[in-house]
Amino acid sequence: MSSLAIKRLESALQARHFDRTLLSHRRPGGRVTTTGWAPLDAALGGGWARGELSEAIGTRSSGRTWLLQATLAAATRRGEVVALVDAVDRFDPRSAAAAGIDLARLLWIRGPALTAEQTRPSLLDAAVSKAVRAFDLVIRSGGFAVVALDLADISPRIVGALPLATWRRIARVNADRDTSALLIGEAPMSRSAGGVSVRLTAVGTWTGATAQQRRLARLDLRADVVSARHGQGAKQVGA
Amino acid sequence: MTLVTCLVRASSSPTVPGALEAVARACSPRVVPWRDDAVVFDASGLDRAMGPPARIASEVTRLSAERGVHVRVGLAGKTTTAWLLAHAQPGISIAMPGREADVLAPLPIEALKVMAAGPAAPIGLRFAPDLECLEILRRWGLSTLGDLARLPRGDLHARLGPDGVRLHQVASGEDECPWAPVDGVVRYYERCELEWPIDGLEPLAFVVARLCESLEARLERADRGAIAVTTRLRLVTRTSHERTLHVPAPMREARVVRTLILLDLESHPPDAAIDIVEIDLDVAPGNIVAGALFDLTVPSPEDLATLVARLGALMGETRVGAPVLIETFDERTRAIKAINTFSVKSGSGPTRRSPTPGWSLRRLPLPVAAEVMVEHGRPVRVTPSARGLPGGPVKQCAGPWRSSGAWWTLDRRTWDRDEWDVELPSGVYRLARDRTTGSWSIDAIID
Repeated sequence: MSSLAIKRLESALQARHFDRTLLSHRRPGGRVTTTGWAPLDAALGGGWARGELSEAIGTRSSGRTWLLQATLAAATRRGEVVALVDAVDRFDPRSAAAAGIDLARLLWIRGPALTAEQTRPSLLDAAVSKAVRAFDLVIRSGGFAVVALDLADISPRIVGALPLATWRRIARVNADRDTSALLIGEAPMSRSAGGVSVRLTAVGTWTGATAQQRRLARLDLRADVVSARHGQGAKQVGA
Repeated sequence: MTLVTCLVRASSSPTVPGALEAVARACSPRVVPWRDDAVVFDASGLDRAMGPPARIASEVTRLSAERGVHVRVGLAGKTTTAWLLAHAQPGISIAMPGREADVLAPLPIEALKVMAAGPAAPIGLRFAPDLECLEILRRWGLSTLGDLARLPRGDLHARLGPDGVRLHQVASGEDECPWAPVDGVVRYYERCELEWPIDGLEPLAFVVARLCESLEARLERADRGAIAVTTRLRLVTRTSHERTLHVPAPMREARVVRTLILLDLESHPPDAAIDIVEIDLDVAPGNIVAGALFDLTVPSPEDLATLVARLGALMGETRVGAPVLIETFDERTRAIKAINTFSVKSGSGPTRRSPTPGWSLRRLPLPVAAEVMVEHGRPVRVTPSARGLPGGPVKQCAGPWRSSGAWWTLDRRTWDRDEWDVELPSGVYRLARDRTTGSWSIDAIID
């Protein structure tokens, strides 16, 4: 009897689009986009949820860009198309090609060429606002498997100044689409109810016995799934 | 019954551009114009509307006279015969189907010269006879086309080759090949003269939408799509503001075309209020794409064109596209190209997963100058000039990797530098030392 009541309640919530917010389980058959990193996929139940707004956050050199490019590469390898809104023009096509991204299937939207670290906040505000509008336009147009907004080098203070309703609106627009919307930043911005926040940290691994042989081999990533409605709570992945 | 009509402007009549073609198109959809001097059209079936061939001939003569052109008319079952008769004889000449050779027989052999002045393939006259051949025929004592038609075709081929055969075919009233009608040039153009000048894009949107809807209906009827859209705005200052958009795929949806026009005008607005709005389209056959059932969905060319136009208006036209790799050893070079369409792929099977994370570069568009303390040839401390990039002691470093290029040019593209990967407490960076000036900069962040 009680299960019947719960089902009725869930149906009522679904009818009013509250199911994403209130239910604690992922809807059956929910599609995902692989992150391109198997341990993180396992922790996220297959990857970034489609129709949701997720975020990968971390400080400088924490592997955010690597994870972003791995996600884009996995999607383009499947033949899907992806878009990247590059708020302050940091994308490096050579790194992307080396990561396996099919560049012909990537729509690159370049923000102004600013050095965020030494630019006046007013210019950065304008750049962020344009980038968010571009992000919204791409999601609305549909047809992209992954749409990413790279705000990694923008101060959290500037990103935090955006009204929270902005992210809610974007999440709502994406709710019925087959797109994984992904934010890249330094601090949590706003994931949607079904999205996840993944905090990344990394330690550089250097190889070579002598100074002449020294190389940066890789970044050993650790990912903490810090907030996700679906799943068993916080998870740690990696080294 | 096939009936072909040829109208030829009489030598005494003035030339009226387009008049003969207009008369022909008023009578038939299958028309081949030849400059402003002649026109051939298919008159089959006109007997039901106009009456017998003589009546058809007199009717087209009257129509031509109304347009200021006096014509000679040739009607026959074959194009070549109609062409010859109209050129060789004044007034109206008629050869009923099957009787072409008989009607042509009395014409002098010189009548074949008009073939040299005729159009090529479209009406089935594929050759211009060699005048030397005609001279030979005269020397043989042939004076009429009937004389020529009576000769055995095989013997003519033996003596004159393929040209002889073709002349014999013409004299016998035979076509060498069917003729192909030429479509009339249809212009996809709409114009709206405004009662009051309008200033601003919002009111203009309504006018443009109405014109686009009208054009969409016409394009749909003809199964055509626009590949270039020219918007011409006549301004109150008596000047004209013209913009041409080239679209990636033939499109006719009014909503899309209107959006593209308005986004373009938003970026390139007119200087003054608008009096007249004109939209002119270059068209191509419609592009109907049916997606396969199991193909992945990608944005359609129409959706992508609209999206790119919107993003271009927001970020700048050159800031949206697909990244491209430039063949150079200068790793700082980045380029973007316009994107028109995404190809549809079925996917390449299961995704290959990266076994271990690596790293990627975040390129600083403007390198940040830095002070670098060097010991034993290796950087030991970095102090960037930008407040947002904290410096500090170098924990690890690798390098230098030397690269240089464009030394053969005298411009600023020349580079000669040593690159280092350095780990500071705040992150891992790619440093560069300019070997010409000795200055250091941070080029990229490793992330």
